Amino acid sequence: MANQFYWQLPTSGDARYGNATRQRRGEASDPNYPVFGNGVTDPRRNAFSYFDYIHQVTKAADLSGFNGIFIPDNPDGEEPWIVAGYVARSTQRLKLLTQFDASRGSAVYAAKNAVSFQRYTGGRFAWHITEGSQDERIRKQLGDFVPKQDILARIDEFITVAKGVLTTFPFNFVGRFFEVQDGGFQGPLSDRQVPSIYLGGNSTAQLELSAKHADVHVLDAVEHDAIAQQIAAYRQIAQGRAVDFALRIDVLARETREEALEDAKRFLNQTEAAIPADDSPLLWPGFSEQHTGAKASLIGSYDEVAAALAAYAHLGVTQFVLAAVPHFEEAYRVGTHVLPLVRQLTNPAQKQAA
Amino acid sequence: MSIDVFWRIPTHGEPGSHRARDPFRGDWFPGNDNKTLSGLGGGGDDGFTYIDYLAEIARAAEISGFQGGLIPSFPNTDEPWVISAFLARETKNFRFMIPFQPGFLNPVVAARMTASLQRATGGRALYNIITGGGGPSQLWWGDPVKHDDRYGRTTEFLDVLKGIWAGGPFSYNGQFYQVEDAGLPDPLSKEEYPEIYFSGSSDAALASASKHADYYLSWLEPFDLIKDKFARVKERTDHLGRKIKCSIRVDIVARPTEEEAWREVSRGFENIPKEILDRYKAQNAGDSVGASRQRGLRPQTINSYKDFILSPNIWTGFSLLRGGQTLGIVGSYENVAARLDELVQLGTDAFILASTPHLEEAYRVGEEVLPLVRGKSGASNLRAVA
Ligand SMILES: Cc1cc2nc3c(=O)[nH]c(=O)nc-3n(C[C@H](O)[C@H](O)[C@H](O)COP(=O)(O)O)c2cc1C
Repeated sequence: MANQFYWQLPTSGDARYGNATRQRRGEASDPNYPVFGNGVTDPRRNAFSYFDYIHQVTKAADLSGFNGIFIPDNPDGEEPWIVAGYVARSTQRLKLLTQFDASRGSAVYAAKNAVSFQRYTGGRFAWHITEGSQDERIRKQLGDFVPKQDILARIDEFITVAKGVLTTFPFNFVGRFFEVQDGGFQGPLSDRQVPSIYLGGNSTAQLELSAKHADVHVLDAVEHDAIAQQIAAYRQIAQGRAVDFALRIDVLARETREEALEDAKRFLNQTEAAIPADDSPLLWPGFSEQHTGAKASLIGSYDEVAAALAAYAHLGVTQFVLAAVPHFEEAYRVGTHVLPLVRQLTNPAQKQAA
Repeated sequence: MSIDVFWRIPTHGEPGSHRARDPFRGDWFPGNDNKTLSGLGGGGDDGFTYIDYLAEIARAAEISGFQGGLIPSFPNTDEPWVISAFLARETKNFRFMIPFQPGFLNPVVAARMTASLQRATGGRALYNIITGGGGPSQLWWGDPVKHDDRYGRTTEFLDVLKGIWAGGPFSYNGQFYQVEDAGLPDPLSKEEYPEIYFSGSSDAALASASKHADYYLSWLEPFDLIKDKFARVKERTDHLGRKIKCSIRVDIVARPTEEEAWREVSRGFENIPKEILDRYKAQNAGDSVGASRQRGLRPQTINSYKDFILSPNIWTGFSLLRGGQTLGIVGSYENVAARLDELVQLGTDAFILASTPHLEEAYRVGEEVLPLVRGKSGASNLRAVA
């Protein structure tokens, strides 16, 4: 199958600037501090909400040739399942890759909600299940008191139960975290597609969990040789159970490398982050992580960024979860200028046919 | 204060009328235990799915004057959180009443879901807090907790939700839920707390409702029982220094004449398969106090639809026509409005009405019945037609 490209939605605010407090799209403005000052009448009142903006980013991804959207779970932002439902009806073909962790509640309830998603979208719902925060203090703020060493076991049970009730009737299970008796969906709710399951992580336990349950194993952005090693490590542990590999990586691509560097430095200035002394590498670790959650960003010309993505594809990555700030304009830019190049580089047959 | 009236979204499929058992709109029909194509035009795959039809109903309800709709959640229905999010952009006023069992969600996640849905809809989300009917279905949902403990859990859940909403950092150490320094992130924390409807008939339910609910929600019961029940809930809540309102979920068949309305019911009754009648006579499951109150109203002998007439315009056979609750109102537009007004006099502050098919009937009830309801003032609000 051809490579799949996901565009990330900004679930916790977006702006043109590196410092998002300076301008926040879609939020109702504070009547005491009108954005337009006294010069221009602001006709918006409360007619729009941040969701209208999220919706525009979704349409941008759809119109500019992405295969799906990735809806990240940031505890400081919108709840991803609600976002997925909100944008679902405005899209015909985008996959809705929705991130969450297994502390959200009952696995049966999650599966049952997934049934409605799948029925209404023709099976476009997908799950990226994470471990949540590594910080126990933050997990407790989120109502999760399960100790760190049990988190993977809970994900394992969550998926086992969800898959069980989605595919089997009657389904029975008694575990440490979940229990169900004579479960499973019948009638119109039966026999629906299990959401594609995305998992991540590089520890042996995480790789084993992916080997057991995942359709797609998600890799964080690192240099090409490290990705090659991680894919090899998975294959060694999985003993033949194949998964697809997804790479979660940001991109800052411009017509020329000079422009890309200029914009990258301006962005870092706005976030008050240090500018690297050596700007020659394509991959900048931590570049927009605060905004997008991705571990690194490719920075360069359209050709350079496309070539770097294609090089990951040659190592075995078949799905890309991309993001850039601001998400709306950059969706069009990346969709128009970068994706076609990557598709050509990774699928020359398509080029000949065109 | 005037009366709030909601409609219902039929998450469990939709026959074409009260008399018909099929054809169904969408992919439900009696005895269908298989996955089928979800097309609306006769079952073939026409590219539409059931949400397209539900969208039509939500629009019909808001256009014809309903506040919004209750979106029931049972093992064989689609789910209200999903439906609400899907329909947020397509509706303007429609308020999404979401039933859910608190036990199924982490309250911090529920708080974020709700705040996001409020942001997505301009504050149109509200709850029907349900606590589960027990029996095999409770374990089907993956929930082993017993009846009264479930209400304890419901109370804890709402304690936490309210605490988080009031502004963090909020900590709570309950039997079912713990949080430490929880709160909602900045833009989400500005949203209105959802209005809470609350269902359940047991003592445990009333205790939880009186602490947390804005509206106590009941199925229709015989009028004297409803009056007592509402008086009890209100008294109990008064004791806590709070105020609670009362509301009723009821099916109706309203026609230009009473005769036509009964004809609809009689045709529907004739079409009930024998197995369904037999099963009805034998039914007994679960630990729901509310459900057994309804079962207590079954007639001794069943020969015709008339055996189910409890009092003027009150028919107890609705669960046989399409499942769900038993009592409903049958009559002319004036009859139905008059019964609703009697219920208002007995202490009802809001209604959730339903009739089949929900799409066309939303227009009928909005146009023909709601204008006749006098509400608390007792006087007709309609200007005399010259
Ligand atoms: C108006 C009304 C609507 C209800 N809707 C639902 C529903 O959508 N899903 C559900 O599982 N239970 C629903 N219930 C069931 C109750 O919430 C509750 O679980 C049941 O009545 C058992 O509680 P009890 O023993 O206190 O009566 C509803 C009840 C009423 C009165």
